[in-house]
Amino acid sequence: MAGAKKASALSPAVRMLAALPILVVIATRRDGGAVQLNPVWFELKDGFFWLNSNTRRTWPKNLQRDRELTMLLVDPKEPYRYAQIRGRLISLIPDPQHEFIDRLSRRYTGEKFRELEPGEHRVTFKIQPVAVTGDMI
Amino acid sequence: MAVELSPKMQAFTEEVFPAIIGTNRKNGSVEMVPVWFEQQDGSFWINGGTNRGWFKHLQRDPRITLLLIDPKNMWRWAQVEGRMVNWAEDPGGDHINHLSHRYMGRDYQNPRTGRIKVQIEPLRVTGAIDGWR
Repeated sequence: MAGAKKASALSPAVRMLAALPILVVIATRRDGGAVQLNPVWFELKDGFFWLNSNTRRTWPKNLQRDRELTMLLVDPKEPYRYAQIRGRLISLIPDPQHEFIDRLSRRYTGEKFRELEPGEHRVTFKIQPVAVTGDMI
Repeated sequence: MAVELSPKMQAFTEEVFPAIIGTNRKNGSVEMVPVWFEQQDGSFWINGGTNRGWFKHLQRDPRITLLLIDPKNMWRWAQVEGRMVNWAEDPGGDHINHLSHRYMGRDYQNPRTGRIKVQIEPLRVTGAIDGWR
């Protein structure tokens, strides 16, 4: 289970897994250092991971403060085959017309995203993968 | 202060899927790894070799977060923030064998020596099982 190897580029195995409509589990740190884990939608495109969130949630705040996160992709057919990816926040892109969250929603549900709530602001995070460890690099 | 798990959460922890655990590395990054777990009397128990990174991290910083997610339904998930309150050797591998029966329905196939079991007390539960909090 433990993978000590390290690679910086994404292998074909990781890219194949990232093409599936599975969730990525992201780890950020709260103020004070407690670990926060969230399953989130993502897309891997042009070598970057793209995430989207409501700005009021905690993990986007953690990510904006630390500018880094860890992501875990797990093979849905084999739960101990995984890639752990450390990532760096490259840029933050407002999504006022909810185009990107609609795109992500179609990837996962086949339909566009729900209506935004009053005062809800969506933002897209561009994440550069920095290091990959695990059983499928 | 430890929190008590709701009946819904207790039922969720009976389901058989690995937990993803997150621990703090010395350099400030988070290590994540899927592990077998069980919940007993409100505590979570995991098992590993003493050389595992996460166990070394916990000895320095006992905070640990578990993500439980139904692999067949991504909307059913819970995040449990907790801390290691106790660990003990697992002589003879009785505990890992017990977990192997929970997950694989058979005896543990790998060496049962040099293992430890770790008790985690939940401090905060969030996510979709209890409703958003």
